[in-house]
Amino acid sequence: MVEVLQQIINGIAIGGVYVLIALGLTTVFGILGIAHFAHGSVSMFGGYLTFFFVTSWGIPLLLAILIALLVGLVLGVLIELLAYRPVRDANHINAFIVALGLTMMVEGINLELFGHEQVVIPTDFSRVFNIGGVTIPELRLYVILAAALLIAAMTVFVERTKTGQAIRAVAENRDAAILMGVNVKTIPLVVFAISTALGVCAGVMVGSLFAIAPGIGEGLVVKGFAVLILGGLGSIPGAVVGGLVLGITEALAAGFISSAYKDVIAFVVMISVLLFRPQGLMGKA
Amino acid sequence: MARNRTFIFYGLALVGFVLLPQLISVKYYIHLCVLALIWVIAAQGQNLIQGYTGYVSIVQAGFMGIGAYSTALMGMHFDLPVWLTIILAPFVTAFFALLTGYPSLRVKGHYFAIVTLAFNMVIFIVLMNFHDLTQGEAGITGIPKPGGKDALFNWRDRETYYYFVLIIAALMTGLAALIVRSRIGQILVAIRQNEDLVGAVGIAAWKYKLFAFVTSAMFAGLAGAIYAHYQSFINPEIFGIAQSLDAILAVIIGGSGTIAGPIIGAFFVVFLPEYLRFADSFRLILYGLVLVLATIFMPRGIAGIARDLMEKRRGRT
Repeated sequence: MVEVLQQIINGIAIGGVYVLIALGLTTVFGILGIAHFAHGSVSMFGGYLTFFFVTSWGIPLLLAILIALLVGLVLGVLIELLAYRPVRDANHINAFIVALGLTMMVEGINLELFGHEQVVIPTDFSRVFNIGGVTIPELRLYVILAAALLIAAMTVFVERTKTGQAIRAVAENRDAAILMGVNVKTIPLVVFAISTALGVCAGVMVGSLFAIAPGIGEGLVVKGFAVLILGGLGSIPGAVVGGLVLGITEALAAGFISSAYKDVIAFVVMISVLLFRPQGLMGKA
Repeated sequence: MARNRTFIFYGLALVGFVLLPQLISVKYYIHLCVLALIWVIAAQGQNLIQGYTGYVSIVQAGFMGIGAYSTALMGMHFDLPVWLTIILAPFVTAFFALLTGYPSLRVKGHYFAIVTLAFNMVIFIVLMNFHDLTQGEAGITGIPKPGGKDALFNWRDRETYYYFVLIIAALMTGLAALIVRSRIGQILVAIRQNEDLVGAVGIAAWKYKLFAFVTSAMFAGLAGAIYAHYQSFINPEIFGIAQSLDAILAVIIGGSGTIAGPIIGAFFVVFLPEYLRFADSFRLILYGLVLVLATIFMPRGIAGIARDLMEKRRGRT
């Protein structure tokens, strides 16, 4: 029982990272109908950047994350303006292809700037808490807390603020939103900036919990989409539930069945959900 | 008239392909041409599901892997002749495609793309980790060439293999053209344009989608099998998602929903990375950039542009 709890805690930490990735993907998808495949690689870029600031320039971790976040905001805006806006009115397949091209470019840039060695962001959170036989490393706890905080902030932003309202309006009915005076040119920029910033946070978490290496970003974005499919598209609660389900399934599978096949098991879960609920766990039929 | 012209065009193209090895003096380029022709087969399959049916599948390389491994393993364990395993490989692939196609075709658009991508990951992970069967990352070596010791042709010669692949690629392109021109092909295009309407007139769209998916997988399985016997060596590396993306690129850059498109696109995805070699580590960035620019500025692919140009000329005269 303790072991199961242990794996569930591990799963929540991984799941939190997945939720952050999925939140970025789901808002982008909701507004623009784009499967922003480059999201994982861009997130890893943020992780790399943080690593670089901390190790090469000796900037304190929190400040480094803050700078990486700002870079992420700008990067998100640039991606929308330069890559996705030109294919806005074309077939959706085209936007997807652009996303694939973008992924290659960002992966290439990551390789060029940071090399192909795997990289771990150094932190000095090395304490380990022990609650009733379940061990929780300090870092893992912070990751869970930070993820929860960001998810809550994102929910409040989308549900309560004026900009959030505009984002939801555009997602629901673009034409009606235009008639209501929503500026549909700036909304995608805001969405991309926020999504990328969330992705950077996820990248930092991956970089400090596990490691960043070439190819990790692509794996992560696939997990992000798997979360969307599990949870149901365009819903924040869906992303949260989907992310936790995927993370915990993976951790349990790795702990009790086989760590080599944990991804296979996670995908099997996703596909079986599809068979019975094509609209996802929390999606509307 | 237009139809005659198409036949003349394809006839000329075929003559060009037949003469090609005689014009190329560097052996390495013949090797690349063989690879490109193998890609033509896979891309024609990809075009059926992506270009005509409008479902972007990201598992083509995974299916190539299933084809390649099944031909190699059947040869190793059951001692079957090479020609037979090459023929059987697409059917093994079809079996897996049926199994995976049914659940994944329940979802549309980007969902479908992501689910198929997950399948490719699963295939890749299994190939990597199922050591007893696939020998993991090290891969399988010593896969025999077609034809025994006293065969009619010298199969070790690249030129011989080139003509072998050319014949198959031409046949498969012809098969793709037949499918597309048949009633099935029309329904596939109808599904791409308005799936709800197809359902509304009483056609069970899912059967046709499954047909397109399984057929495209069989094309990939065949391509993979031919690849395995050409290289005599396979490992999971070449059946990953990156290669599935190459298949998508081949269709998009060549011109999706056209028969000529995948042929052009396949040569493009094989030769462009070679030409970008000068850029060394910037290759990936450049490749991505070419892709983004090509999609933004020529969304209908090379075949689409060529057709536009031809129609413009015809209009003028």
